[in-house]
Amino acid sequence: MSSVHLESLVTAFIPQARNDQSLRDDLITRCGEILNSHIGHSPETDIGYLADSIKRNLLNTSPNGVPTLRFSNLLSRLLEQPVLSRKHASLLFLHALSASQASVSKGHGALPSLSIPTAPRQYQSPRNATPSDLSSPSNGPKRKSKADLLREYRAKNEKSHIPEALLLRDTLYLLQGISGKYVQFLSVKDPDPNQLVFKEDSRHIISASTKALVLRLAEVGYLYIRVDAFVRESEGKPGIGMIEQSLCHHLQSQLTEYYRLIAVLESQMSSTVPDDDRLDPQQQQPQQKDSREQETGLTLKRLDVWIQEWRLRMRMMSVCVEGARETHGGALVNLIHGYADNGDPFVRKFTDQLLEEVSKPFFATLHKWLFSGDLNDPFSEFFVAVDPELAHLQYVHQSSGGHLGGDGGFGGLGEAEDMAGERDSGLKLWESKYRFHKEMLPAFVGEAFGRKIFSTGKSLNFIRYSCQDSDWVATREKLSNTGGTLQYSDIAGLERSIDTAYQIASRRLFDIFFEKYGLLDHLLALKQYLLLGHGDFADQLMEALGPNLARPANTLYRHNLTATLEAAIRQSSAQNDPPDVVRRLDARMLEYSHGEIGWDVFTLEYKVDAPIDTVLDSGAMVKYLKLFNHLWKIKRIESTLSKGWMRIAGGARTFLRLQDLNPDWHKVRITMGEMIHFIRQMEAYCQLEVIECSWKILLDFVQKKEGDLDALIKAHRAYLDRMVKKVLLSSPKAGREENMLNQVRELFSIILQFREATDDFYNFSLSESAYRDSERDNERGIYTGLAREPRHGPHTLNDILSRVREYGTMFSEKMQTLVQGLQTHPDLDCRFLAVRLSFSDFYKSRREHKS
Amino acid sequence: MSRREPDHLTSAHQVLDILYDISQLLNTQLDKETLATCVSMIEAGVNPEALAAVVQELKRENLALNVQNSNGR
Repeated sequence: MSSVHLESLVTAFIPQARNDQSLRDDLITRCGEILNSHIGHSPETDIGYLADSIKRNLLNTSPNGVPTLRFSNLLSRLLEQPVLSRKHASLLFLHALSASQASVSKGHGALPSLSIPTAPRQYQSPRNATPSDLSSPSNGPKRKSKADLLREYRAKNEKSHIPEALLLRDTLYLLQGISGKYVQFLSVKDPDPNQLVFKEDSRHIISASTKALVLRLAEVGYLYIRVDAFVRESEGKPGIGMIEQSLCHHLQSQLTEYYRLIAVLESQMSSTVPDDDRLDPQQQQPQQKDSREQETGLTLKRLDVWIQEWRLRMRMMSVCVEGARETHGGALVNLIHGYADNGDPFVRKFTDQLLEEVSKPFFATLHKWLFSGDLNDPFSEFFVAVDPELAHLQYVHQSSGGHLGGDGGFGGLGEAEDMAGERDSGLKLWESKYRFHKEMLPAFVGEAFGRKIFSTGKSLNFIRYSCQDSDWVATREKLSNTGGTLQYSDIAGLERSIDTAYQIASRRLFDIFFEKYGLLDHLLALKQYLLLGHGDFADQLMEALGPNLARPANTLYRHNLTATLEAAIRQSSAQNDPPDVVRRLDARMLEYSHGEIGWDVFTLEYKVDAPIDTVLDSGAMVKYLKLFNHLWKIKRIESTLSKGWMRIAGGARTFLRLQDLNPDWHKVRITMGEMIHFIRQMEAYCQLEVIECSWKILLDFVQKKEGDLDALIKAHRAYLDRMVKKVLLSSPKAGREENMLNQVRELFSIILQFREATDDFYNFSLSESAYRDSERDNERGIYTGLAREPRHGPHTLNDILSRVREYGTMFSEKMQTLVQGLQTHPDLDCRFLAVRLSFSDFYKSRREHKS
Repeated sequence: MSRREPDHLTSAHQVLDILYDISQLLNTQLDKETLATCVSMIEAGVNPEALAAVVQELKRENLALNVQNSNGR
């Protein structure tokens, strides 16, 4: 069958053979032999490779790319067709034919060149073959062009251009960062594209335009050196980050591609320039040999075109490398991301690719952090950093939890001290074990999400290590189901999984705090005990402790205090509180100095352990104590006043029947009424308007169950700060925060002194009335007892009365200033307090009346 | 079957057209008929590179003959 085909082939090509039988047979046998020989059995059957090599050939013959494009088009159409079974073979045939065609037709000069701009060259006389004057083919032979004149001039001076092929070879070296023979980098260590040295000897020069071209090309070589140096440097350096490693890997693969290009170019050049000797500069016009080789071979300008894309790529890489020197980890990703928003699709694509590669280790770390709360970041590249000092403090809970668990009642003194050391570690652990590095956060994540990621991982870590959560495994399983793989190209998916993980982790942490550790119970207990919410308990305690506390501080003993406290708990409704809450309550004395009495140093204390101390940290506890102190004082004044009032009112009715002292007593009662009004209003304001309102806000937040532990801590802090601010009437003015508080305290001490004075007055009245009684008895001649001591003189009475009056007016005046101050207080609640204290403008009208 | 036959024929024509275009592009200087013959040979399992050599050989032969003729004339 093939012989039939052969015959038709032979007759098609050689018309003579149609008539000449012997010639035909001869040819057919020869062809048959060739066919049976095994020439050129190429092993590749990859059509892509073949297509590539054809394309390259086409591009060589005509660099404008139109035929290449057309070829790709045709090829794709061909591949779609189902008929042919050996497409590759057919293509190979055509390719082989075309390749050999080119070599055969060389001799003919009849080949129609595909490259339009070089077409006229074939018809030129060999004399004009140097590239410089090829542009004037039409008038070249007729009269001498300027270029001809120039060349003649140079020939006279024995100067000529260095042949381009030599420069080309040097340029290829330059592209690899190696100095060539004629063109060299000024210094190898710190090459600069602008510092090229052109070695011109006396006879050879390089034209300025060529120099400019070489300079352009050398830039790529220079950039290559920098990138390559960076990759090498990083390979050898210890402790280099994973993100940098992956950057290096990406750069390395880019460089490999670059090497491939250089290799292809080199092979192109060597096909143009088969042997070096021919190109010796002494030989005057090497190009003359066959000008057509320039159509397929390499020239500086073509090299420039080939390298064009790589110049851009190298620039990008070099920029990344520069950035990588100064930045680290996430910041590096950030830096690269900065170039992703580029209008140039090439730059965008390159950056995207690079980012995809570079961000892989980042996402691996992120995944671990987000879903299991472990920070696996050996080179500190992540935007979450661990505090090395706190990393070991994970198991605080176990140690301190054991303390309290074994200790049924109130903690001993020594233990309390022990725990105080560990006390603040819960919050410290939460707040500073991991730190957020904003500069390391990749910009494509966004800060809000960065915070969420940070918080999620922190929550998980906290659940895991500080809360010893046994349900942890279940949680983790739930978490890993929600998240797929995280990667740069899927930012929306990333945000989604971050959101879910965040919600789950926060919810879990909330549940743990409120259900497992009963945070709400503790908060309530603090409110009830330290903020005196349990009125009956406070009263009991006041009653039991009052006499003790009036004594100097150094005569008080802790065990007495705790015993009284226990008694107070048992006698009040506090006994119904869960034992876990009650046993945390403790009575304590603050540090006291000489001369202080029990009232000044007594304090209640509520002990919490990890992990609740994350919310109720020591700072918060100090604030609670401060509040307790103030509220306790108010309570004390109140009970003092009410007791005094009871005495006076009751006594006056029963036995104080001294007509001459009645007006004085009346005045005392009015002043005392004023004081009672003041203290009641203060108390009501603190309890109802401040504490309960703040509590309501906190409770609302807790019931919403939104946000993470940070939000919870913040909410509790806001709750506490609000109370401190309003109860202590602190004003925002710097340096005068305690102005109001001091006035109130002064008022308290005035009240106490007044109470003392009235007590004196009471005693005086009592003895006076007893004296008068016995006098009256004597008059009637009844002996009722031993003779009384001489009565206090009017001098004593005046003294006492003046004291009572003095304190009364002092109180009034102080009240006026306080009310005045409160009326201009920036806080609305405090202004309302002023209204209550000075109801119906009592103090205002009094002042006006006075003036 | 009878309907598929013309289909087959037209697609064969298309393939040949495409191949011819490529051969034009690659400047092989084959006419359509010769190309068809060659492709059918290749489809029959002939080594393509060897076939290329044969075509080359034949062309050269033709040229030589022509030169002879012109010289002889």
